[in-house]
Amino acid sequence: MSESLVILDPTAEQEPIGRHPATRPDQLTGPLGLIDIAKPRGDVFLNEVERLLRADLPDLEIIRLRKPTYTKPSPSDLRAEVASRCRAVIQALAD
Amino acid sequence: MSRLPAAGSTAPAFSLGDRTGGQIDLIEVAAPGTLLFFFKHDCDTCDLTAPLVVRLQDALAPSGLRFVGVSQDDPSHTTVFVDRHQLNFSIALDSELHVSDDYGFDAVPALVLLGPDRQVLASYEGFARTDLAGLIEFAAEQCGAETPPIVTESDGLPKMRPGCGSKAHNPDVAQRLAVRRGAAVLSARRVRVPVDDDPFEFLAAQGLGDGLPVVPPTEERVLRMLEGTSRSPSDVVAHIPPNLTPATVEKVAINAVMAGCLPEYLPVVIAAAEAACTDEFNLHGVLATTYFATPVIVVNGPIRDEIDVNCGRNMFGQGFRANATIGRALQLLVRNVGGGRPGDVDMSTLGQPGKFTCCVGEREDLSPWEPLHVERGFSPETSTVTVFAGEAPRAIRDQLSRSARSLGASMGWCLETMAHPKLHRMGEVLLVVSPEHARTFKADGYSKADLRARIQEVTARPLRDLLPNDECQKGTVPVGLPPDWKGPDGQPTEEALARPVPKFKQSSDILIMVGGGTAGKFSAFLGGWASGTMGSMAVTREICR
Repeated sequence: MSESLVILDPTAEQEPIGRHPATRPDQLTGPLGLIDIAKPRGDVFLNEVERLLRADLPDLEIIRLRKPTYTKPSPSDLRAEVASRCRAVIQALAD
Repeated sequence: MSRLPAAGSTAPAFSLGDRTGGQIDLIEVAAPGTLLFFFKHDCDTCDLTAPLVVRLQDALAPSGLRFVGVSQDDPSHTTVFVDRHQLNFSIALDSELHVSDDYGFDAVPALVLLGPDRQVLASYEGFARTDLAGLIEFAAEQCGAETPPIVTESDGLPKMRPGCGSKAHNPDVAQRLAVRRGAAVLSARRVRVPVDDDPFEFLAAQGLGDGLPVVPPTEERVLRMLEGTSRSPSDVVAHIPPNLTPATVEKVAINAVMAGCLPEYLPVVIAAAEAACTDEFNLHGVLATTYFATPVIVVNGPIRDEIDVNCGRNMFGQGFRANATIGRALQLLVRNVGGGRPGDVDMSTLGQPGKFTCCVGEREDLSPWEPLHVERGFSPETSTVTVFAGEAPRAIRDQLSRSARSLGASMGWCLETMAHPKLHRMGEVLLVVSPEHARTFKADGYSKADLRARIQEVTARPLRDLLPNDECQKGTVPVGLPPDWKGPDGQPTEEALARPVPKFKQSSDILIMVGGGTAGKFSAFLGGWASGTMGSMAVTREICR
């Protein structure tokens, strides 16, 4: 081929926003959010997680949160709640 | 279609070189006017016309009428024509064909008589005696001269003769000119494929395909694709998940080119993108799930035949361009514009072949029922797409049933296996009834409502049998049951345990369409995904061109 071909960019032409995971805490201090993504038996899993945590860390403040449905991204008010109230979160995928 | 400027319009200005290195301008036209004569050297109709133009020049040039020939040829071929006819007026070279394109005629010769301000007084292409006579009369009138006797009873001229194709319509040239005309409407970033790189390998290396080669989206191809819609290239069609980035008509067209679509498919792709990017359909979830779901596109209405969407034999299979490429275009949009890629946001455990493409039509002519889109509120004459988050098609085999009741039972029992036989109170499913099976239902006067009721009847089992148990730990879990079925402990009451529970939460969740070849007592169903307002629901949209 002697001539270079010009094509049109099929993408959104947006640079992805670089996001880095938050710094992991050295030790587990509250408040800790336990988020149920609304899959069946997510509560069973998180109840057990909560029980174990309370046994080891009786002073840990735990906040239970729940997505309306696992099929959609978290609604913005839930994300805001997590950001404003929780130092760390554990999110449960179940079934 | 010819775009030759008609009388009363303003003709395009131009500046062209001639064979001596000079420049010929048509910017301001002095009174009484100018006659433009477009020609090419190997055109019999140009040969017929040239001597007549020379005679007209002899008659009216003394009155001030300017004559300009515009040649579509290179200088040497132009000279052949000029010498052949002893043309002694200015000859402009339009070898790039930009002026021919601006004047928009289909054939040469093309004659355009201009008055002051480049106002067109008369124009025609090819040869027609009456057009020539009219133009001569206008020209003479414009000059305040007698009409020269060129078209007379004894002139021996034919009544008409078609012209020869304008060189601007040669396929390679037409594409180049289309880009020149239309490139301004394209705003996508231009990407230059390095010289000596194979464009197909280049696109694959950029991660812009689905594993199969894609058609390189050149400006020419995208502009041709955009001819399939009346919508502006800059219109935003939808915000494509997962990144919720806006997809303009132009971006849809680019991805449609890559998928292999024809321009007439573009409105279907646009409608499918609009339908899939609604809250009800929840494309984000459909994409991100570990399940098998993918957008299944069903086309209804007159457009099926117009663009040849297969709704007959092998409709879910290979071999039909519309089916193969419309679904693929939607998938490429999600990948390239939305950023949804397998292993990234697309977390499907196993996937399925329909994630390359899944687009079919309904065989409305062989259906005993009103088609899917009419049931969903559209008129039969409206063309629509319905998107449904579906699994791959699965077989319903019944060559023995001769009654609708029996066949309905077969379908119900097959449908009960959707996802898991013990999972009841399920959401949407797409049932594709083959023409032979449809005939059985028709013979017994079975309506869609009858079929739905039969499916629900044969699949209804006591809740007790559907709960997870030691025999099989999978089943219908109490958490999704209505509150009044459960006791204070959250477990089903004794009464609820005895209650018959059909496969589907509501019979309207069973979407029914007719499709497939006329031979074969096989139907199919495509299981849904998490359905309802908290999952994905089928969405139907009108296809607008």
